[in-house]
Amino acid sequence: MDLRETFRIAVRSIRAHNLRSALTVLGVVVGIGSVIVFATFGASVQAAVVSQIGQTSANSIFLTPASIESGGQDGPPGAGIADATRPVFTERDVTELGEINGVETVVPQGTVRLSGVSHAGDTVAQRQAIGTTPAAFGDDDIVDGRAFESGAQEVVVNEAARTAFEQNLSVGDTVTLTLADGDRRNATVVGVADGTRGGLLSQFGPSGPQLYLPSEPFYQTSVEGTTDGVRVTAYPQVTVVAEPSQTGTVADAVRAYTPESDAAALLPAEQTVGVQTTGEIVGQIQEILGQLTRFVTGIAVLSLVVGAIGIANITLVSVTERTREIGIMKAVGAQNRDVMQLFLTESALLGTGGAVLGIPVGLVVAWGATRFAEVGFTLALDWMAFAVVVGVAVGVGAGLYPAWRAARVDPIEALRQE
Amino acid sequence: MSQSTESHAERGSVSPAVTVSDVTKHYQLGGRVTALDGVSLSLPEGSYTAVMGPSGSGKSTLLNLIGGLDTPDSGTVSVGGTRLDGTDDATRADVRGTEIGFVFQTFDLLPRLTAVQNVALPLTFADWGRAARRDRAAALLGDVGLGDRLDHRPPELSGGQRQRVAIARALAADPSVVLADEPTGNVDTETGGEVLSLLDGLHESGNTVLLVTHARRVAERAQQIVHVRDGAIEGVERLEGDAPTLSVADDPTGGEN
Ligand SMILES: Nc1ncnc2c1ncn2[C@@H]1O[C@H](COP(=O)(O)OP(=O)(O)O)[C@@H](O)[C@H]1O
Ligand SMILES: [Mg+2]
Repeated sequence: MDLRETFRIAVRSIRAHNLRSALTVLGVVVGIGSVIVFATFGASVQAAVVSQIGQTSANSIFLTPASIESGGQDGPPGAGIADATRPVFTERDVTELGEINGVETVVPQGTVRLSGVSHAGDTVAQRQAIGTTPAAFGDDDIVDGRAFESGAQEVVVNEAARTAFEQNLSVGDTVTLTLADGDRRNATVVGVADGTRGGLLSQFGPSGPQLYLPSEPFYQTSVEGTTDGVRVTAYPQVTVVAEPSQTGTVADAVRAYTPESDAAALLPAEQTVGVQTTGEIVGQIQEILGQLTRFVTGIAVLSLVVGAIGIANITLVSVTERTREIGIMKAVGAQNRDVMQLFLTESALLGTGGAVLGIPVGLVVAWGATRFAEVGFTLALDWMAFAVVVGVAVGVGAGLYPAWRAARVDPIEALRQE
Repeated sequence: MSQSTESHAERGSVSPAVTVSDVTKHYQLGGRVTALDGVSLSLPEGSYTAVMGPSGSGKSTLLNLIGGLDTPDSGTVSVGGTRLDGTDDATRADVRGTEIGFVFQTFDLLPRLTAVQNVALPLTFADWGRAARRDRAAALLGDVGLGDRLDHRPPELSGGQRQRVAIARALAADPSVVLADEPTGNVDTETGGEVLSLLDGLHESGNTVLLVTHARRVAERAQQIVHVRDGAIEGVERLEGDAPTLSVADDPTGGEN
């Protein structure tokens, strides 16, 4: 029996029970749709995170204190955030790192504790600013004005901080910083930045108000150095910016240096200096998001199984209802395989219909989710192909048993039925 | 598989379209029912035969065995030279599609297909092309007087019209034998007459026709009447002197019912 005629007859039977067929297809739509939603949303978030990090710090190597048991440099990013705040990188470390071949610049970064910031009589509570060096600002980071100068009473703000006051800040304005110990200092706003090259954790922070201060004179954190009794300035994070295409060799050199660094000497025994390149971090994030996506999508696959059961159910009902028709078809010469083919085509059509409708539905919902989460929309093409294949497979698979039952119908029994 | 032709047409010069030899059929339904018990019968090509008997005597069972819908417990059945006993499903389906034309009491059309699609159904399973199927089906519907009802579905047709569609369907694949099981059982007398005239016409144009009925008035249109009672052939009654004779194993006295 030719396939076109099989199709025609199958479509006719499906349409004879419009509502029933529609509800069955709906079950598959929900299943395929959920798979598409979660897969697409996962891929979108992954792509967004990766591109955000990749763009801003492609050649960066991040050094932070890390617990040895958390896996050190292999641990997931953000593990041991508490450890990462321990100030251990000294000025000597910064200088030594800067002398490695292929290093463009080294950006130390620490936290300056504040209690508030005032401008033109309006005070905004702000618990901290970032103390760093002018090298923290790459060409792309400054959107207005310039970077601060080391040793100057100057501040660079981000867009959120610029608009945090009743009167928006502009380059040249003066703000009053109230330090955590109560001291007040004036600083001139010299630039607006949308980020820095330094600092791994600053990549992820919410885009709240942020102030960048020159570590000289604002960053005061010091530790008792390796030489007894001498206190030296120390930073919890250092970012080594490598020259393009040198990241790998520089990272190796940085790793070779860290055991003899002040940081390693200052850290307690259970901690080490974690060294991670952007590529490694991106890889880890991708892996975690990938696992998460697969897990959630796997749950969505369950709803697809429910859809398949729906198809199997409705096809079985259809076989039972049409037993007499099967008898007639056999009486006029239908082979068992013709009957099988008819019912398989029906269930495959239901499954394919579900996939074909489920993909746009899933994509629309996923698109809405990416809007909501404010990330770019990335198609998960492999999952879409997977969904279509699964839709057809679900239809055929779910139809196999009912179709087999149909093929085995005894024409005599079928024709005796009322 | 044996495709042996029972070429020895007993007592007649015409080769048999259907040969049934010592066939027994039991059904297991609650108790054991003997539907047919040692039945032998041979239908010459082009013959017109009626099977008559009371309800439950085994008429439909005999027809279904000849039509390859069922298989005998013992004995042999061949149609157009093909043995139907001991064959596989596929062979019997093939024979049903090409050698047999069924007409049932309850019409048994597919309700969602149009008249022309119903008539073309055997050709669909026989892998005819779409256009050829439609042409053939339309011509046959024209022959049974339904040329203007090609695209009507069975629910839109009267009982008599449905049975005429069924007759056209039975002829679609140009079968060796047309089997009609009480074709007038579900239509009124006048319509029944039209249906029977069509069957008469089939015979006149050379088809082998086997008609099951429990009404003598209907059976009398045939050349021979095979009387069946309790699963056995009671006798054969010849109605036309010049008709090809048919043979039964337990040579009867030709008893009147
Ligand atoms: N499929 C079946 N299952 C069980 N019993 C059957 C079946 N078909 C027929 N019979 C029994 O076989 C006997 C003959 O039936 P049937 O050939 O239909 O008679 P008729 O057509 O002469 O009325 C009856 O007793 C009937 O009940
Ligand atoms: Mg009967």
